[in-house]
Amino acid sequence: MLELRKDIFADERDDNLKEIGKGTQRQDMLGHVTGTSTYFDDHKLQGMLHLKTVRSTHSHARLRRIDTTDAERSPGVRRIIRGADVPRNLNTLLSLINFGIDDEPSLAVDKVRYKGEPIVAVVADSPREAYEAMARIRIDYEALPSVFDVEEALKPGAPVVNETYPKNTFTYYDKYDHQKLRFGDVERGFGEADHVLEQRYQMSPIEHAPTETNGSIAAPDTNGRYVVYTSTQALFFSVDTCAKILDVPSNTFHFIGGTVGGGFGGKVDTITEPLAILGAMLTGRPVRYMLGREEEMQYGPPRGAERIYIKDGVMRDGRVVARKVRAYFDSGAYTRLSSYAAVKCAAHLPGPYTIPNVYGDVYCVFTNRTPATAMRGFGVTAMDFAIECQMDKLANLVGMDPMEFRILNAYRDGDMKAHRREAKNTALIECVQVAAEKSKWPLRDQFKRASSRKDGGGSRAVIPPTPRDADAQRAAALQQRTTYDRAPAAAVREAPPASQPSPPPPPRPQAPSHGAARFSSVFGTRRR
Amino acid sequence: MPVTVKTFATSGEAAAALSSDRGARYLGGGTLVMRALNEGDIAISTIVRASDHALMRIDAAGSRVTIGAGVTFAKIIAERDLAFLHAPARSIGGPAVRNMGTVGGNLFASSPYGDFTVALLALDATVAVQSGLGAREVGIEEFLQSRERQAGLVLSISCQKPASADAFRYRKITRIKPKGGSVITLAAHLPTSSGRIVGARIALGSMAPTQLRAKSAERALEGRPLDATTISAAAAAATEGTSPTDNALASAWYRREIVGVHLRRLLSGQE
Repeated sequence: MLELRKDIFADERDDNLKEIGKGTQRQDMLGHVTGTSTYFDDHKLQGMLHLKTVRSTHSHARLRRIDTTDAERSPGVRRIIRGADVPRNLNTLLSLINFGIDDEPSLAVDKVRYKGEPIVAVVADSPREAYEAMARIRIDYEALPSVFDVEEALKPGAPVVNETYPKNTFTYYDKYDHQKLRFGDVERGFGEADHVLEQRYQMSPIEHAPTETNGSIAAPDTNGRYVVYTSTQALFFSVDTCAKILDVPSNTFHFIGGTVGGGFGGKVDTITEPLAILGAMLTGRPVRYMLGREEEMQYGPPRGAERIYIKDGVMRDGRVVARKVRAYFDSGAYTRLSSYAAVKCAAHLPGPYTIPNVYGDVYCVFTNRTPATAMRGFGVTAMDFAIECQMDKLANLVGMDPMEFRILNAYRDGDMKAHRREAKNTALIECVQVAAEKSKWPLRDQFKRASSRKDGGGSRAVIPPTPRDADAQRAAALQQRTTYDRAPAAAVREAPPASQPSPPPPPRPQAPSHGAARFSSVFGTRRR
Repeated sequence: MPVTVKTFATSGEAAAALSSDRGARYLGGGTLVMRALNEGDIAISTIVRASDHALMRIDAAGSRVTIGAGVTFAKIIAERDLAFLHAPARSIGGPAVRNMGTVGGNLFASSPYGDFTVALLALDATVAVQSGLGAREVGIEEFLQSRERQAGLVLSISCQKPASADAFRYRKITRIKPKGGSVITLAAHLPTSSGRIVGARIALGSMAPTQLRAKSAERALEGRPLDATTISAAAAAATEGTSPTDNALASAWYRREIVGVHLRRLLSGQE
């Protein structure tokens, strides 16, 4: 039985909740167990057509010629859709929050950048007739050299995957090719450390494997609107994405979501809705577009693969004194959400530990693999796996118990995090203590007595002198400066840098027009 | 062109329909054919079914058993006289697949599926096939070598019951238990006569495009007692003649590395 330590988490939860130990029914359970939950695919509309896409058989190729004349004459075909038919055939998901450059077409035009990229859509009376027409489409490919490895993709002379990003890296704040974190001097930390351990961690892409594959049904409604039944797990996000790609106001659509047959991050990319709606626009009929299982497995976006290098300096007494991380996120051929994953990852370094010298470089890299997307803690999960493996190895290296080793290095209230923000409401020590207690893992008294609320702050709240990168002498970009960046004045002991930086500019005045400027702690202030 | 479904009362008529139409496929439990159709396989234009009860018959009373091609794995598991086939039947899919999937269909399942066929191959089964020319019996090995060219309908399979529970062994290596696809599948039939193995049969799945016999390993066992030396010799010969491929479950290299290890465990009775 789990307990909530009220002495630690006094304000964390309403004490009057009386749910645990009772048979409280999930709100959607009755529908699921009686088989009456309605999914998007439960709508069989009169005259409904079926859309299927012809996908690239190459990982990277120029499209020399696409011949659909034969397919157009195939029985049951209502419409063949090409890239030129898509009103705005270039989009990036996070453009809705002004993050990233449009880089992905709904249907490939000149080039395909991953195996399985959609090139032509066929709308037909039945799925079978769509498949038969697809077999009659001729595509001439000119194969191009491809790159599947994140580090290979960064080498000079590597094939350019996505011309929007010619260096094969996502561009942050209009100029940076990666996310950087600098806190203290890791090289000096390594010099002073008793042991230095460098390790490489490689993850694989992970498929969400939802029971219901991605799909949607779009149907013309009265007064020029379209009703869309969809499996999306991000309904309003999908509405706006479709409005942008189809170049119509978002009130053109009436999106109806509902039961999602398994999402886990794999149903935010809005990969079926734009084409289903476009099919309905072009034919005046309801159009259904649902991925098959193989499409879902092979070409549905997975969790991205990461390659992570961690180099740590540790003292004989168990204190980690320096941590240097290089991480490469494999975004696949297009951005989707990996750009954001890298931001989250950088924000997570160096894990929940107080380490005086931290150095992080996190890259979002383009390769000729299936575009990666969100999945359950993406950006953090893999890094945590690497960090915790590393912690076990370090504990072993200095001959310490791994639980005690974590308690020793855990951050505490008042400590300065590598992002120059004070750690608050920390509870790693207590979590480790409870885990040890529940698993009857012996801890020595001093570690049993440790507390997140004791012995933090003070010298642990100091921002150490941080050398600047040789290439970063210029003032930081405006967007990176936020009011949050100012550390508590008393705690700052930063040595005067070689050139006096200009003081942070005052916060910009709020622009009066709606949506003109947006503020986000992750992306900074961005103009729409 | 829509898919046509033709249902016949006798297996003879169904076999004739299959022989006369290149786009025709026989639908047993549908675990292969319906999947192919759902994934857009336009090579299939006609589905042939037969309601012939003979296809559902199990004759397991004597020393030689005959199982109709339409018998499902769930039925095999429910049949006490087929205890030696329970392990292979149970290793296939989950309950839903076992309720639908048939012995006949399994003969056509390509790697990483077709585990039941591995067991049948080790048991030297014969396959009764009905074609335009009439019914005939084919050895399973010959059947598998020409299965893509088979015209006609599989009626049943038959094999000799193993002399003892210990004489027939089966193991499927999967990453997901209990119903993952096969990394490799092994079956061994080890009849003994005065302490020596006579007529050893070892069959492997996922070690080649179709299920195959590990004949070098069989030769290493033949005429010898099943002791450590013999087992080592058989394990060392396990990869000979195999041509595994990479897939999402395992690489060809990994399959080659582990087949000897698992054959050793199978032969020495280790869990």
